[in-house]
Amino acid sequence: MRCEPAEFDGLPRRDFLKVGLGFSLALTAGTALFGCSDAGRTASAGYVFLRPGDVELFSALAPAVVTELGAFDATKRGTTVEAMLSNVDGTCAALDMGSRQELRKLLDLLAIAPLRYALTSVGAWNEAGTEKMQAFLTRWRGSRFATLNAGGNVLVRLTASSFYLLPESWPSTGYPGPLEYVFKAVNS
Amino acid sequence: MALPDIYTEGIASGWKVIDAARLSAAQTMQADVAIIGSGAGGGVAAEVLALAGLKVLLLEEGALRTSDSFRDMDEGRAMRELYQEGAARATSDGAIAVLQGRSVGGSTTVNWTSSFRTPEPTLKHWAAEWEVIGHGVEEMKPWFEQMEKRLDVMLWEAQNPNNGVLMRGCQKLGWEAHAIPRNVRGCWNSGYCGLGCPVNAKQSMLVSTIPEALRHGATLVHRLRVRQLQHADGKITAAVCEALRDDGRTPSGTLLTVKARHFIAAGGAINTPALLLRSQLPDPHKRLGQRTLIHPVVLSLAQMPERIDPFFGAPQSTASDHFQWKDGATGPMGYKLEVPPIFPGIGAGVLNVFGDELRREMSALAHTSAVLALLRDGFVESSPGGSVRLADDGSPILDYELSDYVWDGVRRAYLSMAELQFAAGAKQVRAAHLDARYVGSWGEAKKVIAELPLQKFRATLFTAHLMGGCAMSQNPKRGVVDSGGRHHQMANLSVMDGSVFPTSIGANPQLSIYGLVAQNTTALAKDLM
Repeated sequence: MRCEPAEFDGLPRRDFLKVGLGFSLALTAGTALFGCSDAGRTASAGYVFLRPGDVELFSALAPAVVTELGAFDATKRGTTVEAMLSNVDGTCAALDMGSRQELRKLLDLLAIAPLRYALTSVGAWNEAGTEKMQAFLTRWRGSRFATLNAGGNVLVRLTASSFYLLPESWPSTGYPGPLEYVFKAVNS
Repeated sequence: MALPDIYTEGIASGWKVIDAARLSAAQTMQADVAIIGSGAGGGVAAEVLALAGLKVLLLEEGALRTSDSFRDMDEGRAMRELYQEGAARATSDGAIAVLQGRSVGGSTTVNWTSSFRTPEPTLKHWAAEWEVIGHGVEEMKPWFEQMEKRLDVMLWEAQNPNNGVLMRGCQKLGWEAHAIPRNVRGCWNSGYCGLGCPVNAKQSMLVSTIPEALRHGATLVHRLRVRQLQHADGKITAAVCEALRDDGRTPSGTLLTVKARHFIAAGGAINTPALLLRSQLPDPHKRLGQRTLIHPVVLSLAQMPERIDPFFGAPQSTASDHFQWKDGATGPMGYKLEVPPIFPGIGAGVLNVFGDELRREMSALAHTSAVLALLRDGFVESSPGGSVRLADDGSPILDYELSDYVWDGVRRAYLSMAELQFAAGAKQVRAAHLDARYVGSWGEAKKVIAELPLQKFRATLFTAHLMGGCAMSQNPKRGVVDSGGRHHQMANLSVMDGSVFPTSIGANPQLSIYGLVAQNTTALAKDLM
C-alpha cells in the first residue's frame, strides 16, 4: 500500500494537528494501517539508542545536512560519519523519557516504509541521495504542520551539531580549537 | 604549570566525597540536614549550614567533574558531562531548548558568570502581588553584598568583540547599556565558562561554597538520584535514593536511605517540582509544578566586517535594560539584551540551516555576532509560564506555551536586536527563525521581521534560566513555600533554589538565588540550632 505525498497533504489539517505536536496519532495510524515498524526493536551494535533503521536515516542525512562531507575522500567521510552517528547516539541516549519517547515515535514513523514514502518521498534511505534528502527536509520545515516543522528541525540540528562538535570540522569554521595560551598552560 | 585540582587535593586531605556509582550495598545515612542538589541554591545552603556547625549531607544526581576534566576545553565533552540530558533537554514538544547544568555545582559550573542583583521592580512586584515578605530591596541588600564579596563579583570592563557589538549599538542609538558584574577571581578571559572553567577562576559552587562546606565536615554524595521523600504526619521521614551507574543515568540497583532532621530541595526549577510530585506531597491548592518561568530567549545573528571570534573572551560583559522596565513591571513584555558565546556545535544548532547554507554560515562563524533577548515572563496574567509534570518513570517533563503577549515581545525583540546590530555596523542581519534570511539594511530587516510568522518551531527558542514551580508566598493558596522557603504543609522541608521565585527575575538569576538562599538558610540555621 502506498500513499502519495499529495494524499498526505490532503489529510484534514485539524485531525493531524491533534497529535499535539507529538507523533503519537500519526504513528498509531501508521501502525494500524501498515502493521508494525520494520525497524529492528533493539539498538544496533555499538549504539545505545540508534536502531538499524535510524543508522540508515542519519547516514543519509549526514551528507545532505553537512555538504562539506562531499569534499572528503571516502575513508575520511566514512570515519567522520561514524563519529557523527556516535555523537547523535550519545545525545539521544542522554534524553529523559519524555523526549526520548517523542524522538522514538518520529524515528519509528520514518522506519515504516509506506509512511516514510508518504511523508518524505524517499523509498530507501541508502538510495535517496543528497538532493532527495534535502528536498524532504525543506518540505518538512516549510510545511504548515507544526509536527513536521518539529521533526525537520530536530533531524537537522542533531545532524549539524554532531558534525561541528568534531575537531575535523573546525578548520572550515574559523574556530582554531581550544584557546591556545590557556590550553597550553593547563595541559603543560 | 598544570593547575592543582581542588578536589584531588581536598579528598586526599580527608574531605568526605562519595561516588554513589562505586557503592554496592544498600545503606542508611544520617545528617542534621540533607540538601538535594548542589547548584546555586544547594551550594550556598551547604556552606551556610556547615559553617553553622550542622552535619550536612549534600546529594547530587550529576557526577563530580572538576578542572582536571575541563582541561580539554572541548564542547562535546562539556555537553555530554555537564548538562541535563546531554545539553538536549527541551520542553515537552521540543520547541524550546533548555540549557541547564547537571554535575556537582549544577548550572553554576557551566553558566556564563553574569551576576545581577534581583532588580528592584521584581522585588517590589513580589511583595505587592505575591504576598512575599522579608525580601524587599533594603532587606536583600546586605545578602547580595555578602554573596558578591563571597564570590568575587566584580564589574568586567574588558569586552570581547561580541559584547562590543552590543555596547556600540546601544551607544549609537542612545540606549541604556551597562557592564556586567561577574563572579570570577583571576579570570584568564578565555570564554570557556560554559564548558567548565579550565582555570578555576569562575567562583561557581564547585570551587567556592562546596569546598568550604567539605572543609567543615559536610559529606558530598554524587551520582545519586533522590527518588522520593517519604512523609508521615506533616514531616519528611526519609529520602529514598538510588545510586547511578558510571553513565550517570541508569540506576545501579543500590538504594540509599537518607535520614535527617531537615530536608532541603535544591534541584532547580525542573527537578525540584518533579521530586515533590514524585513524593506525592500534599498540594491542597494545586500550586506544585505550576508557573515555571524560563526567560524565553530569542536571538538575532549579524555578519560583522571585523573579526568577532564569538567563542573567545568573557562570554557576557555587556547588557542593556533599555527595553526591560520601559512600561513598568506589568506593561507589554520587557526584555534584557545580552550576547551569547557561539561555539561550533551549539552554534550549528542555533543557525538551524542545512546543506550549502549551513556550510556558508559556519564558514563565516568568526565574523558572526549574536544578540539575545531574555523575555521577562510571569508578570501578567497572560504570561503564566509553563508547568512541570512527570513521565511514567518519574522524570520531569516541562510544558510551556507562548501566548500572544509573549509573541508580541518576541517580535519587538527581533526588531530591537536588528536595529542595534545595524547601528553597530553589521553588514547583514537575520533573526534566528526558519523564515528569516540575511538582509543588508535595517529598512529591509524591519519589513522581514514584520512578516515573520511567530510560531513554535519557526522561531528558535532557548532558555538557560529555570525559575518557579514551587513559588514562595505567605498565602498557602498561592505558593508552595513561605517567604523563608519553608514548605507550607511539611514542617521539616525547605525549598532553596530558583523554583521559589513567583515570577521570572528579569536578569540572569544566579545572584538572586545566592542572596535569597543565603538569607533564608541563615534564618533556617538559627531555627535548627
